[in-house]
Amino acid sequence: MTQEHLAMAWVPVQQWGLLYREEEALGIGTIFQDLNKPFFAAEDGLQGAASAFGDQEISAPVKNQQTGGQFPGENSAPREREALLRKIQQVSFVLDDLRLYLDTHPEDKEGLSLFKAAGERRKALMKEYARQFYPLTADCMVETCWDDPGAACFCWQKGPAPWEGGCV
Amino acid sequence: MWMYEKRLQFPVKITKTCPKTAQLIISQYGGPDGELSASMRYLAQRYTMPDKAVGGLLTDIGTEELAHMEMICAMVYQLTRHLSVEEAKAAGFDAYYIDHTCGLWPQAAGGVPFTAKEFQSKGDAITDLMENLAAEQKARTVYDNLLRMITDPEVREPLKFLRTREIVHFQRFGEALEKTKEKLDSRNFYYFNPEFDKNFLNGNTAFRKESF
Repeated sequence: MTQEHLAMAWVPVQQWGLLYREEEALGIGTIFQDLNKPFFAAEDGLQGAASAFGDQEISAPVKNQQTGGQFPGENSAPREREALLRKIQQVSFVLDDLRLYLDTHPEDKEGLSLFKAAGERRKALMKEYARQFYPLTADCMVETCWDDPGAACFCWQKGPAPWEGGCV
Repeated sequence: MWMYEKRLQFPVKITKTCPKTAQLIISQYGGPDGELSASMRYLAQRYTMPDKAVGGLLTDIGTEELAHMEMICAMVYQLTRHLSVEEAKAAGFDAYYIDHTCGLWPQAAGGVPFTAKEFQSKGDAITDLMENLAAEQKARTVYDNLLRMITDPEVREPLKFLRTREIVHFQRFGEALEKTKEKLDSRNFYYFNPEFDKNFLNGNTAFRKESF
């Protein structure tokens, strides 16, 4: 590890440590417990957010006292599509955060093994979502047409636009 | 090459119209420390980075910033999609409304339009990574300030998520700086520019040793 030197900044390299569960990491903003650094003015709101949304969680993630991990719109009955999309968002976020970690820790065995496992889960969920609802990527669309040539159509515009709040 | 994935990185579902909040949040779209400038900053800097892994990190963070820009735009859109002219007037959103109606346009909270002056690409790895460390901190401060002012939990949840990402990115840029420093001589990190004076980097150690 590089040591401290005059006239140069130094940030310690992160060591692999405790992780948040896949269901809670997205609500917190990182999978790494060591990198969760809440802001005091955000903590009050959290209590409010948690009570405002109630406890009707799809997978009832354990509420981290520092961060909550609640999403908006949780008080309506969760639908199947939203539940599957939520799973895709959660596993994809694990990959997003791990990708950056592996960019600076390319040899990390624990990171690599989680990356592989989460990547496989995501692939299966993306395929399942395209089959049941609509494709999230152009590749998913091609894959759906391949599996079921009779249903082949250009379905890229199916489903709500992400900014309409349909992906909650 | 980029591929679009039809979902937000973090869910945004805002049910209450609030042009005032939209006007504050739009700064993270087109403001000096916004997600658009973050994305353009990192994606511009990566071509000349001497360490391939650092170039890869810039690609990945620059890509994530595009997803953050999409979240911010979704928030501004949802805060204004049912806007009435009276609400726009009362909230001081009228000036924006005159020029853009409820369309998305990158500007700072104070109305200053987005420009490339908002970010730096200096062609020196140490300089650019320091710029990025500072940029993540500046964006975090903006999210802190937004969280002090905004009370709607539907708006706060995505803001808290984005704030945490700034801290994670800061850590990664710090590690990228360490990687870059490994390629340099710690007795004098500033003897040459690793992005321009490439002959110093490519194993020309004899020359380097003599130089100190």
